[in-house]
Amino acid sequence: MVGFSMQPYGIQSMLKEGHRHLSGLDEAVIKNIDACKQLAIITRTSLGPNGMNKMVINHLDKLFVTNDAATIVNELEVQHPAAKLLVLAGKAQQEEIGDGANLTVSFAGELLQNAEELIRMGLHPSEIIVGYTKAINKIIEVLEEMVEKGSENMNARDKDEVITRMRSSVASKQFGQEEKLCSLIAEACIQVCPKNPANFNVDNVRVAKLLGGGLNNSLVVRGLVLKSDAVGTIKRMENAKVAVFVGGVDTTATETKGTVLIHSANQLENYAKTEEARVEELIKAVADSGAKVVVSGAAVGEMALHFCERYKLMVLKISSKFELRRFCRTTGAVALLKLSQPNPDDLGYVDSVSVEEIGGARVTIVKNEQGGNSVSTVVLRGSTDSILDDLERAIDDGVNSYKAMCRDSRTVPGAAATEIELAKRLKEFSLKETGLDQYAIAKFAESFEMIPKTLAENAGLNAIEIISSLYAEHASGNTKVGIDLEEGACKDVSTMNIWDLYITKFFALKYAADAACTVLRVDQIIMAKPAGGPRPPAQGAMDED
Amino acid sequence: MSLKVLNPNAEVLNKSHALHMNINAAKGLQDVLKSNLGPKGTIKMLVGGAGDIKLTKDGNTLLKEMQIQSPTAIMIARTAVAQDETSGDGTTSTVIFIGELMKQSERYIDEGMHPRVLVDGFEIAKRATLQFLEKFKTPVVMGAEPDKEILKMVARTALRTKLYEALADQLTDIVVNAVLCIRKPEEHIDLFMVEIMHMRHKFDVDTRLVEGLVLDHGSRHPDMKRRAENCYILTCNVSLEYEKSEVNAGFFYSNAEQREAMVAAERRSVDERVQKIIDLKNKVCPDDNSNFVVINQKGIDPPSLDILARAGIIALRRAKRRNMERLVLACGGEAVNSVDDLTPDCLGWAGVVYEHVLGEEKYTFVENVKNPNSCTILIKGPNDHTIAQIKDAVRDGLRAVKNTIEDEAVVLGAGAFEVAARQYLVNEVKKTVKGRAQLGVEAFADALLVVPKILAENSGLDTQDVIIDLTGEHEKGNVVGLNLQTGEPIDPQMEGIFDNYIVKRQLINSGPVIASQLLLVDEVIRAGRNMRKPT
Repeated sequence: MVGFSMQPYGIQSMLKEGHRHLSGLDEAVIKNIDACKQLAIITRTSLGPNGMNKMVINHLDKLFVTNDAATIVNELEVQHPAAKLLVLAGKAQQEEIGDGANLTVSFAGELLQNAEELIRMGLHPSEIIVGYTKAINKIIEVLEEMVEKGSENMNARDKDEVITRMRSSVASKQFGQEEKLCSLIAEACIQVCPKNPANFNVDNVRVAKLLGGGLNNSLVVRGLVLKSDAVGTIKRMENAKVAVFVGGVDTTATETKGTVLIHSANQLENYAKTEEARVEELIKAVADSGAKVVVSGAAVGEMALHFCERYKLMVLKISSKFELRRFCRTTGAVALLKLSQPNPDDLGYVDSVSVEEIGGARVTIVKNEQGGNSVSTVVLRGSTDSILDDLERAIDDGVNSYKAMCRDSRTVPGAAATEIELAKRLKEFSLKETGLDQYAIAKFAESFEMIPKTLAENAGLNAIEIISSLYAEHASGNTKVGIDLEEGACKDVSTMNIWDLYITKFFALKYAADAACTVLRVDQIIMAKPAGGPRPPAQGAMDED
Repeated sequence: MSLKVLNPNAEVLNKSHALHMNINAAKGLQDVLKSNLGPKGTIKMLVGGAGDIKLTKDGNTLLKEMQIQSPTAIMIARTAVAQDETSGDGTTSTVIFIGELMKQSERYIDEGMHPRVLVDGFEIAKRATLQFLEKFKTPVVMGAEPDKEILKMVARTALRTKLYEALADQLTDIVVNAVLCIRKPEEHIDLFMVEIMHMRHKFDVDTRLVEGLVLDHGSRHPDMKRRAENCYILTCNVSLEYEKSEVNAGFFYSNAEQREAMVAAERRSVDERVQKIIDLKNKVCPDDNSNFVVINQKGIDPPSLDILARAGIIALRRAKRRNMERLVLACGGEAVNSVDDLTPDCLGWAGVVYEHVLGEEKYTFVENVKNPNSCTILIKGPNDHTIAQIKDAVRDGLRAVKNTIEDEAVVLGAGAFEVAARQYLVNEVKKTVKGRAQLGVEAFADALLVVPKILAENSGLDTQDVIIDLTGEHEKGNVVGLNLQTGEPIDPQMEGIFDNYIVKRQLINSGPVIASQLLLVDEVIRAGRNMRKPT
């Protein structure tokens, strides 16, 4: 019998079986950094317009082909706790801005890699944290100075201005197709832009993916595209009023269970008749109110449908509650709970509702041109599902950038010009510091080189050459010189017209620095035994979302 | 061995074995928590069974999350949890102090001293230290208008040990204002009246104090206003939905008209209740300048929501019970349980009510209230572990402020008290004790020094130098603490480093008790069914 007199000394003996405990510089800090580095290596090759795609198959066997870092790290289901911190930073960026997740993860990875070198040089992590914190504060100052003059005023309805700001974000996802995509996104966004652009709602730009055709067949519809057929035989209606019923178009029912009490055959016949008369009365009331289209949120009864046909009403069924709300927003209708005669105010209006067949699928296109600045839909065409998914992500990023630029329209030079300038300024700053943290600040500056380096590497250019010539240009005062990836040379970004949003950069760099500092602050990890049993797949998906 | 005769399956440890097991466990736990102490302590990362991450510096959280198995360690951990429950802070210090007491005792016991004598010494020293604490504490007069500065200093001292400096300083103002907001003269402070709400949004430094309330749900009807000003608020606990009867009921009808009538009848009572609320609204809001908000603890079904929306009323359903209480304190008015006799007196008032949507989550802010007696600390942070960390810290900060107000006293921090108490024990108390118990007093006095020692160690300073500097100053009669940046002695009063009185008192009370218990154990027996693998 192993007596407990043999218990070893130390923490390991006090924890339950299966616990793991890592502590100290070598065991915890360096290992954490290593894990983060591995993650950054994965995302880095996807950075920029020439970034490579990744094929990710998640636990539900769904295939993703994308270079969107947010999707990649999401579907990877990172287990290592330290790397998870980076993923969380990327996610926060995705939620806050909707773009720049790759920058966050890759940059945080680079910061940590450089921190490792400092630790090996003999610096204590707390000194590195102090240095990094000073550096990020300085960066925010410099970034503010880098803002392109005149960019703080933007006309949110001017397509060219919007496209300028959006292009770099979309191009990093779909290089080569950004012109077409940007104009689609800009058109859709501008249509739904409210009076005060700051109140822009991302949800108002919808994407309908239809298999077949190509990107050039894509178009923007003012209104909604429903992926379903009309219920009845009437498939087309123009300049019509719309009545929306949430509770379905059918006979009314009580909450308590009802039973029909019938004493004789006569009554049975009469009952069916009263029922019929009642439904007809209701449908007639709807038709009398002037409505031509009836939209139901739940089931449409057979009998009700029959009368709708008779009164020449077009019937649509939208079972999703959110879709129904969007429909109400598009048409300006007020959703009624029960089938009853609608007030004239409650009716909405559509220019046209028509069922069309696109690429083998029947879709209902609801158009509302008049004053309808509520919902617009981008109809995407593409040859495979994964291409469509990837295009959709590019559009999401574009729409999110539009939202970000409505909040803060300032821009900074793109194509790595900002990064090199920040690196240069930060290096100058580090020389003025006296403490040990100056090494950390210098390393922070060095980390910025990762971005032009990666951009150049991904484009197959000679990174070292590019970086040195960039530095040379910036040293001579040309602060807006960036990389022209197509020609492989350094050029002024104002001639190439590549601008990044200030706010995206700001949040990405701040989140990255925060995540890196958090990883460095940890010196001990105590891991519980992983919960036993196979994980229910549904739960995993919920966590990641 | 006698026990083996009685129960062959029992395991037993006796005499010095048992003692050493206890001492080792205490020292082991001390080792784990040591690096967390003080503002320069490091963070620990805890990974749960499901892979969830928690980052913490807080001793209490750590002990709770770590699944400890050793029986001695569990005892110590329980003392620390008790410390947290009474005072809200000082868990790490408790564990370290106990560990140090055991370590000091080990030396004497190895030299052949009986634990009982040591324990007697501990008891004398404990009583003397408590008396000394009474003399040493700095009284603070609270009165009607508490001195905000001193509260801030205490809160800052507590928070800086949990979070990094910039954030701690920001939270200091928040927690002090929050406690002052809910404080009513002559009444016990109920910290539950501070709602702590979190949003996963922006950065940790965006955390703020909302004078009013933040509810973590929104209105459920698309046509209700998202933002309203000058709001009358009706807090109620009235069901506004159709409820099935208790008895099993059914309808019999023979034609559609009858059924229609029944459908209408079913809803009538609910509709009447809704109508009463609308009548009240029309009474108090004659024009468009003011708005009406209904916050209901029970449900409101879609037809009722629809009627309310048409009447221009914002309605929130299924509010949490604790929020109902807070809402009344924040906005005024009273919570009503029936709509039968509604009067305008029941209504509360808020300057602005608005909804904030964050992805899928909705939050409703009730702000700009008059004379709030309840408030919300809105914690923001980019991810869950940051939020959890801030949440724990805010809790401790609130407790620290509350303790100060209730104790009406603070104690100089930065290790000043520990050094002074040791001085007192060695110079004054030891001489009055007869016999070997003196050594117990000495062990106790040395153990007190562990706090400044570890503070210095965590800051990368030389422990011996620091202690000699500090005791040197105290010999000269200066009460000084440790400056963690430079390692020089400082005056904690000048720097504004104050600890809670109750934290220190609890620490000195409970530490020696548990240490004595552990020292007096001479046999550890594990009998009964062996849960481990049989060998």
